[in-house]
Amino acid sequence: MMVTVNAPDSPCKRQLSDGNRYLGCEMKTYKTDELVELKKTAVKLRRNILRMMRAGRAGHIGGAFSAVEIMTVLYYSVMNVDPRRPRWPDRDRFVLSAGHKCLALYSVLAEKGFFDPALLDTYGSLKTALGGHPDMHKLPGIETNTGALGHGLSIAGGMAMGLKMDRRDARVYVLMGDGELAEGSNWEAAAAASHHKLDNMLVFVDRNFLQISGRTVDVMSYEPLDKRWEAFGWSVREIDGGDLNQIYANATDIPFTPGKPSVVIANTVKAKDLPFGEDKREFHYWKATDEDLAAAEQKLSEIEEVVTR
Amino acid sequence: MNALMKDPRKTFGEALVEAAEKHPRIVAVSADSSSGSGLTPFREKFPERHFEFGIMEQGIMGFCAGMATTDKIPFFAAIAPFVTARPFEMFRNDLGYMRQNVKVVGRCGGLTYSDLGATHQSLDDMAIIRTIPGVTVINPGDPVDIRKATLAMAAHEGPVYMRIGSPKMPVLMDEDYPFQIGRGHVLADGGDITIVATGTVLCKAAEAVRLLQEKGLRPRLINIHTIKPLDRDLILTAAKETSRIVTVEEAYLAGGLGGSIAELLAREYPTPMKMIGIDDRYAEVGPYEELLGLYGLKGEQIAATVEAFLNA
Repeated sequence: MMVTVNAPDSPCKRQLSDGNRYLGCEMKTYKTDELVELKKTAVKLRRNILRMMRAGRAGHIGGAFSAVEIMTVLYYSVMNVDPRRPRWPDRDRFVLSAGHKCLALYSVLAEKGFFDPALLDTYGSLKTALGGHPDMHKLPGIETNTGALGHGLSIAGGMAMGLKMDRRDARVYVLMGDGELAEGSNWEAAAAASHHKLDNMLVFVDRNFLQISGRTVDVMSYEPLDKRWEAFGWSVREIDGGDLNQIYANATDIPFTPGKPSVVIANTVKAKDLPFGEDKREFHYWKATDEDLAAAEQKLSEIEEVVTR
Repeated sequence: MNALMKDPRKTFGEALVEAAEKHPRIVAVSADSSSGSGLTPFREKFPERHFEFGIMEQGIMGFCAGMATTDKIPFFAAIAPFVTARPFEMFRNDLGYMRQNVKVVGRCGGLTYSDLGATHQSLDDMAIIRTIPGVTVINPGDPVDIRKATLAMAAHEGPVYMRIGSPKMPVLMDEDYPFQIGRGHVLADGGDITIVATGTVLCKAAEAVRLLQEKGLRPRLINIHTIKPLDRDLILTAAKETSRIVTVEEAYLAGGLGGSIAELLAREYPTPMKMIGIDDRYAEVGPYEELLGLYGLKGEQIAATVEAFLNA
C-alpha cells in the first residue's frame, strides 16, 4: 500500500511504502510476533469498550473504536509511562483532546494496570470515576479534563513548554478528532506550538471523516488538512491510522523536523470493527441492545481468531 | 486627600518580581500586553521565565493549565474582559475543573478603560469567575492590597483571579496590616451602618466615610478584597451589629460584591441593603471620574446614599 506523506521539511521523501520506510531513512517496524500480540491487544481494548457499553448502555463508540490502534501503539510501544507512578514528572503525557473518545482511554489504562479493570463495569453508574468525559482527579493516568472540544492542544502545548523549561526528555502525545478541528482555539494552540518550537509534541488527528451530523468535509471542511497544519508551522505526515506499523514507525520518529511540532493525520474508520457500525455517523454515540453487544463481541472473537491463526 | 498615590499595574509588576524571587516556579504569560500589564520588570529580570503568546487568550488558558501540570505557577496578566469573559469556558475547565495552580490578573478592570467602551470595560468579571467552584476571586482595594495579594496568590495553591484597575490609587492600608485571602478588614469602626467596599472604589467609600463622620455619623467601613471566599463572619457580624449594609463596587450589581453579600444575608440573616454599582446596562464612554459620577460612585454620592438610607 502506498501512502502519501507530506513532510517537505523532513530529510525523508514524500512517499511511504509498506508504512515503514522513507527513502534513506530507516524507521521502526514490528516483528511478526510483536504485531500479532498488538493486534490481539487492540481486540482486547475494543472488548473493554464493549464491557463499558454493557455497563452503561450508551457511549461514544465510533470515535473510541477508530482510535484503538493509535492508543494501542502509544501505550504499548511508544510512551514512557508507569502505572505505579502515574504522576512521575518524567513520564510522557497523553492528552485526549477529543474527550468523548474516553472509552478508548479507560480501556487502555485499565489494561495497562493504572486502575482495577473491575471499575470498567461502573461506567454509566452514579458517581462513577469513568464519566462520559475524562476527569484527571478521578482516575490515575488521566492527564486532562477534556470534553469541551477543540482545546486539548493548548493544554498539551503548555505541558510541552513546561517539560522543555525543565529540560526533561518527556514528550506530549495528543489525540484529536477531525470534527473538533473547526474549533478556533485549536489554531491558536497550533500557531503557538510552532512559534515556541515545541518539537517535543506529536499530534494524531484521528481522521475518521465523520462527525455527528455527517461527513466532516460537508459539515465544515478543513481540507486540505495537511496544508493547514503545514501553514501553521507543523511537520506533517499522513498515514493509515488503522495500520499498527505505520503508527509505530511515525510515533517513534519525532520530531519529524527538529524545531517543529509534529502531526500525523491518521486516516481511520469510524466504529472500526463494529459490525453494522463501520463508517456510519449513527454510531458516533451508540445506545446498544444486548443483541447488538453480543454481535459486536462475536465479531471481535472472529477478528482475534484470524489474528492468532 | 493627601494620600500617597501609586500605579496599580506597576505595583503588581513589582510585587510579582518579589514573589518570583521567592518562588522559582513562577512564570509570567502575556497576550501582547506585557508592558501594559506591569510585567516589564519581570520580563527584564527573568526573561527565560516570561512567555509571550500574542492575542490568543483562550489558548493561553490551556497553555497555563498545561504548564501548571508540570509544576509551574503561571501568572497570566492581560486586559480584564479578555482573561475572563473571552475565555470563560477555558477558565472554568482548565483552571477550575482541572484545579490548576494558575493566577490570572485582569488589569484595567471595571470602568477604568472608560473611553474604550463596553468591549473593554469589565463589569462582569468578578461575577462570572465567582461561579467557578474552587477559584479564588480577589479585588484589592489599594496598592498595599495589590502587593500583599500578589504575594499571597503566589503562595496559595489553586486558581486565582485578581482584578486591578489602571489609574493611580491612594494608599489606604497600613503597610504591615495582616492581609489574608478570604479575610476582610475593618478600616473604620462604627455602629450606625456598614459600608462594604471593594477594589478601585474603596477610596471613594473611604471619602464618603470621612464626609459622614464630619456630620457626626459613625459608619463602619469594611474592605472586602476577597470576593470569593467571602468573609462571612465579618459581614454577618456587621449585619447584626449595624442593621444596614451598603455595598460599593465598580461592577455590575448582579453577582459581584453586592450580589455575594445579598446571597449570604438572604440565607443567613436578612438585612436591609443598598447596592451601589452599575445596574444591568452597558456603561457609557467618557472620562473615568465622570463615569464614576454617572453611576453614583463618587465619595459625596456614596455619602448621600448612605445618609438617605439611614434616614429612610
